[in-house]
Formats: sequence, structure tokens, C-alpha cells
Amino acid sequence: MGVTKEQVESSLKAKLNPSHLEVVDTSGGCGASFVVEIVSEQFEGKRLLERHRMVNAALEEEMKQIHALSIKKTVTPEQWKQQQESNQSNAAA
Amino acid sequence: MATSLSSILFKGISARSFTTPLTSSCYYGMRYFTTVSNDPDTHNDFKPANKLENSNISLADVIEQDVKDNPVMVYMKGVPDFPQCGFSSLAVRVLQQYDVPLSARNILEDPELKSAVKAFSNWPTFPQIFIKGEFVGGSDIILNMHQTGELKEKLKDIMSKK
Repeated sequence: MGVTKEQVESSLKAKLNPSHLEVVDTSGGCGASFVVEIVSEQFEGKRLLERHRMVNAALEEEMKQIHALSIKKTVTPEQWKQQQESNQSNAAA
Repeated sequence: MATSLSSILFKGISARSFTTPLTSSCYYGMRYFTTVSNDPDTHNDFKPANKLENSNISLADVIEQDVKDNPVMVYMKGVPDFPQCGFSSLAVRVLQQYDVPLSARNILEDPELKSAVKAFSNWPTFPQIFIKGEFVGGSDIILNMHQTGELKEKLKDIMSKK
């Protein structure tokens, strides 16, 4: 009785209003561990620790049942764009 | 004492067994067993002690002292030489890239410490890393800081000079 990927997604969407969101259940569908990647304007001007705290807070209820949460990315739309572009140029090179 | 008790018990059973089926007389007899007081097993010394209630304050003190005394303090699952979780292992491996003294506590050994650390940092997961008394974050953050060079900057003044 874990948490579904959809539950994690809807909580994050509701609280952080992300422009890009990726949630992966890394426990093979058990709902015990997730990897998340979030792009949100709300991260603007926040340190990494604060951004992670925002994600933890958004998932406060879910965290009671989630065993492991890996927050891979918490970036602003600006940073996201830059990263996408540098990835593309790397791939092209 | 024992003889008088058993005689009461047997009287109870025999008195009842004439009027009621035997099954209900069992219940009747049981009453005498449960009323035996001052059972040696109930001595106060054997009662579970509520450690959490009395020690929560002092646990926060322990953590405060830990992070003050140790420039790099990690609360983790397992110990640095034998981490018992991939994330704790990752954090230790990142920190071991730097020539800094590493102090750690195994929260798997102490559930009370585990909840005290969570409350202290207001952070839900482990590992938790403190550098120079400041809460830095978990394994994702330490890895990110390692990649951006921020960690090197932070650890610069505690790296042993060779």
C-alpha cells in the first residue's frame, strides 16, 4: 500500500504549478520510491535546499508512505531552457 | 493462601456445575484467577520505561552538540564503511572525495534518534548532512553541490592541508 505515481504528480502539480514534471516510480510499481524532476517558476530565487524543502512539503502526506524520494531536478523554466539547449548542442557535437 | 484459593475455585466449579453446563462454569472459575493481585510480574521495575518522553530534549541536545563538534556530520543508514542504503552510500562516497574528517551516526540503530534528527532539521529522509553546523541537505543535494563545485568551496577550510 504505497502511493501511486498519479498521486505524486497531482500533489506536485497542485502545489508547485510546474511547467514540466516527470515522476518515475523506481520501486517497480510498488509506490515505495520515486524519482522526480520538476521545472517551476516558484523555484525562482530559491536555494537548492529551499527548493527541495518545497518538494518535500508538497508531498508531506505522501512521504509518510514513500520510502525514498530522489529529487533529481528542481529548476526554474529559465534554467530548464538552458539545460535543454546545452544538451542539444552536446548531442549535435 | 494457595490452598484456600484452590478450594474456593473448586467450590465455585462444583457448585455451578450442578446447575449449569460445564462450559460456563469455566468462566465462573476464571474469575478467581484474575482477581489474584500483587502478581510478581507486574512489579514497577519491569514496566516499559517511556524513554522517548524523558529523553527527547536531550536527544536534540546531542544532535546540536554533534553538528557543533564535527565539521562534517552525517546521519545515515549504516556506517560510512558499511552503508545500508544506496542514498547513504552515495553521500558518503561523495564526501570521501574530499580530504575532510567525516563523522556519522547510524540512525538504524536508534529509532528515537532518527525521529529527533528529522525534527531537528525538518527534513523527512536520510542521509542528512551537516557541514560546519549548518544543515546542507540529503544525497541529491550533496551530489549536486559536488558537481557544481559548491561543495569544494564549502569544505575548503576544513580540508587537511598537505
